[in-house]
This record gives sequence, structure tokens and C-alpha cells, in this order.
Amino acid sequence: MIAELFYRRQALVLGTLSMIGIVVFWQIAVDTGFINPFFISTPSQVAAEFMVQFEDGSVATNVAATLYCFVWSLGLAAVVGIILGVLAGWFADVESALEPFIWFKYSAPTVAFYPLFVAGLGYGTPTIIAIAFLFALTPIYANTLSGIKNTDRDLARAARSFGARPLDIFLRVALPGSVPVMMAGLRLGVGRALTGVVVAELFGANAGLGYAITYYGQLMQTTKMMVSIVIVVVLGVLLTQILSFLESKTDSWRVDSNR
Amino acid sequence: MAQIEIRDLGIDYRKPKSNEVFSAVDSVDLSVEKGEFVTIVGSSGCGKSTLLMAVAGLVDLTRGSIEIDGKRVDGPGPDRAVVFQEASLLPWRSVRGNVKFGLEMQRWSGGDLNERAMQMIRLVGLGRFSDYHPHQLSGGMRQRVNIARALAVDPEVLLMDEPFGALDAQTREIMGTELLRIWERSKKTALFVTHDIDEAIFLADKIVVMGRNPGHIKEVITVDLPRPRNEAILDSDAFHELRKRLRAHLAEDMSSMQLVQEVA
Ligand SMILES: Nc1ncnc2c1ncn2[C@@H]1O[C@H](COP(=O)(O)OP(=O)(O)OP(=O)(O)O)[C@@H](O)[C@H]1O
Ligand SMILES: [Mg+2]
Repeated sequence: MIAELFYRRQALVLGTLSMIGIVVFWQIAVDTGFINPFFISTPSQVAAEFMVQFEDGSVATNVAATLYCFVWSLGLAAVVGIILGVLAGWFADVESALEPFIWFKYSAPTVAFYPLFVAGLGYGTPTIIAIAFLFALTPIYANTLSGIKNTDRDLARAARSFGARPLDIFLRVALPGSVPVMMAGLRLGVGRALTGVVVAELFGANAGLGYAITYYGQLMQTTKMMVSIVIVVVLGVLLTQILSFLESKTDSWRVDSNR
Repeated sequence: MAQIEIRDLGIDYRKPKSNEVFSAVDSVDLSVEKGEFVTIVGSSGCGKSTLLMAVAGLVDLTRGSIEIDGKRVDGPGPDRAVVFQEASLLPWRSVRGNVKFGLEMQRWSGGDLNERAMQMIRLVGLGRFSDYHPHQLSGGMRQRVNIARALAVDPEVLLMDEPFGALDAQTREIMGTELLRIWERSKKTALFVTHDIDEAIFLADKIVVMGRNPGHIKEVITVDLPRPRNEAILDSDAFHELRKRLRAHLAEDMSSMQLVQEVA
């Protein structure tokens, strides 16, 4: 227990130190003229600009727009991915029927469909949500599928020996046994959904972090652009950490999970 | 009539990726009286587990029949409970949750599940560990939970497949004595697979010796050692005699195995 806490602390401390290290390196590299600030600005300028954007409300507006699309796309991907994954994991026929789509999704870049979505849903929020939904769907579906499909046969047989019916085995053995793998899928999905939202916003939006990045990027206002980039990175780390934490809560029963 | 009647039992498995069949058990006849403790010995792969799973109703019979109290076995039933060779506890459930599992599956209606489970957990000596999860227990403790889970559903017949197979010799002996203590109180019919000769004799009223290719019964040996038994019995002359007989049987099997390998 104490060792576990220490391990967690240690990881946190090391992670934080390396982040600080990069920021310091960034500042020094620019101060010593090693890198031209025109391309990447400096931490101190970005911090100052952050305060400006924070006070004029544009940070809140952009973060809210991005999070709105993120929550919708992740929520939809979670619902659809888990339902389809469970069905495909339990019924081999469903898996075979869905397989071509999955291969298609793995081999074709999702953003390539951007124009199609624009044609169907128009510029803006619905298209952004659709793209990010597709980004997040695959890992959630694939993990749920493998979790259910790889249900421990010995456990299923033990359940049957006590007279369990297929539905009992599904609810009491397959589903609870898959929760940790599903959570891992969701954690991957969180990262993918955020990426999806930001990438789609780069192409066309009226607000959001991705929109701000392209907007200032095209104006060559590197410092203003960096504010949004840093926020995206911090958001991504934060959300993934939350999911990792939830994941560790759900698989504490796993023998190899005490880390 | 005997409680378990196995007649001319044969079980074939389909070989993976082909239509060939492999006969795992053939021409097995066996009757077991109510309350009898029967151990099954034989070299690895001779079909002990297969025979036990057939009685449990977990594998399909190819030939012959199995009856329990005159009723034909065609699937698992509440009259039987199994303690498996492999770890088969739900890792996400506590000890109590696992013991309750069998009761839940059987839609147990004999009173409070928690109370019933706790009673069984105390019976196997794990009262203090009811909130532990399987990964926090030793191998011996886990097998106790498996036994408690099987006993909880109050079966007529207890089917045990090398429940102490993964334990060291000493723990094994202790568990064997414990098992006898529990069995003597509950008086359930027991089928117990093992490949430990001493264990087979120590527990049994009757020892079934199996041979391989295909799995069949070579001999049924009656054990007349007095009960209740304790470790002292391991040094008695009668025990030595039985041990010698079983050794000879199993040695025979090993040499025939070598022969097969040489031919192949
Ligand atoms: N599901 C299966 N499909 C095909 N063959 C099987 C299957 N289960 C067992 N067998 C084969 O049947 C034979 C008997 O297996 P079984 O598990 O009953 O042996 P056992 O006596 O319990 O061995 P051990 O002492 O090693 O547990 C073996 O040759 C094994 O390869
Ligand atoms: Mg076996």
C-alpha cells in the first residue's frame, strides 16, 4: 500500500520534473538565441498571453467549444462502441459482419472523409463531433470486443457447473471480467476524441482550441497560437490521467495491476 | 441401487482442425454408493478429468450412460458440485462473493445467501478472510474457497479434480485431513481425482485405477482402513500394502508409455 503510494508519487514527481525541464529548456534555448522565438515563442510570453486571453474570455470560449464537442463525441463513441463491442464479442456472426468496417477504419485515415461530412452535416459542430466520434470509436469497440470474446473459459465452465444459463454467464462472468479492458479502451478513446475534435476544428469551426490554433497560425502570431496548443496538451494529459485513475480503480483485482 | 451408475461410458474428442476423433475414455463401468469416498488415480492424460466432467454433465457422452439416483445425467444439476483442477474463482469477487456465486447461479432459496456463505467459509477455516480477493490468498486458501463454494450449494455428490494438485506435500496432507473432517460431517458422496498415491489411499473407501489409450478402468481397490483417519495411518502395514499395489499399477502404465514413444 505504502509502496504503491510511493510509486505513484514518484511517477508524478518525475513526470512533473520532466515537463518543467522542457519548459526551462524552451526558455533557455530562445534566450540564448539557439532557436528563433518567431517560430515557437517563449514560455514567459505564452504565460503573459495566456493571462490576456483568460481575462478577455477567449480561453473560456475556446475550451468550452472544444469540450462540448469532446463530450458529445466521446459519449457517443462510448455508447456505440461498447454496445457493438459487446454484441460482436458475444455473437461471432456480428463480429464477422462488422469486420470489414473495422479494417476499413484501420486502413483509411478518418480525416479523409471530412469533405463528405461537411457535405452531409455542414461546417461546424456536427461535423466536428462526427469526425471525433469516428476517431474514438475504434479503440473502445476493439477493446470491448476482445474483453468479452476472451472471457475465461474455465470461469465460464465453473459457472455452468452451478447451472448458470448463457445470460448469467454474460452478466456475471463475461461483463465484469471485461470492465478493465473496456476502461483501457475508453482511456485510449479519450485521447483519440480530443485529437479528433482539435483536428476537425483546424479545418473549419467558429470557435474552439483547434480553430484558435489555425486562426493565429495563419496570422503568424505564434505566441497567441501557442496558448491554445499548451491548453490542448494540458487537457489531454489531464483527461487521460483521470481515466487512468478510474481504470486502476476497476482492475484492482488483477494480479498484475498493483502498479 | 448405487447412487452413481456409470455404464459402458465412452467419450470421444474431435481432434483440432480435423475430423478425426480421439477416444479419451472408453468402456467405463462404475458404481458408487451413497456417502462413499471414491478416489481416481492414473497417469497424466489417462482421462481422469474427462470422466469427472462427464459425471458433472460438462462434456457430452459419446457412448453409454451415467445415472445419479436413477436420473440420467444430461447436463449440470444442483445434485452435483465441482471443485476444478484449474483456478476457477472469479478474481473480481471477494471470498464471500465467490462462495455466494454458486448459490446465486442455482437461485438458492434456502435462506440468506450471506449467512450461508459465511457458514461455509468458516467451515473451511477462512472466517477471517471473507473480504479478501483471490489474488490475496495462497494456493491452499484458494482451494478452500473452491471447496466452500461447492459445499455451499449442498450437493449430493461432490466432484473434485486434483483440488490439491498445485500444493506442496505438507499443505496437501493438512488439506486432506481437513477435507476428511468436513466430509465425515456432511457425509456427501465424493469423487476425487488425484495422482498422489498416498492421497488416494488416505481419503478413499474405494480407489479407481485408470489406464490410458483409451482411458479405462484397470482395477477398483477397496480400502478397509478404519475411520476417522489421521496421519498415523500412513505408517500402518495395510497402508504400505496398498501403496505397493498402486505403485506397481502406475509403473506398468509408465513403461507402456515409453513403449509408445519408442514406437512413434
Ligand atoms: N477438450 C478436449 N479436446 C480434445 N482432447 C481433449 C480435450 N480434453 C482432454 N483431451 C484429451 O483427452 C485425454 C484425457 O484428458 P484428461 O484431461 O481427462 O486427462 P487427465 O487424466 O485428467 O490428465 P491430468 O492428470 O494431466 O489432469 C488427453 O489425451 C487430452 O489430450
Ligand atoms: Mg486432469
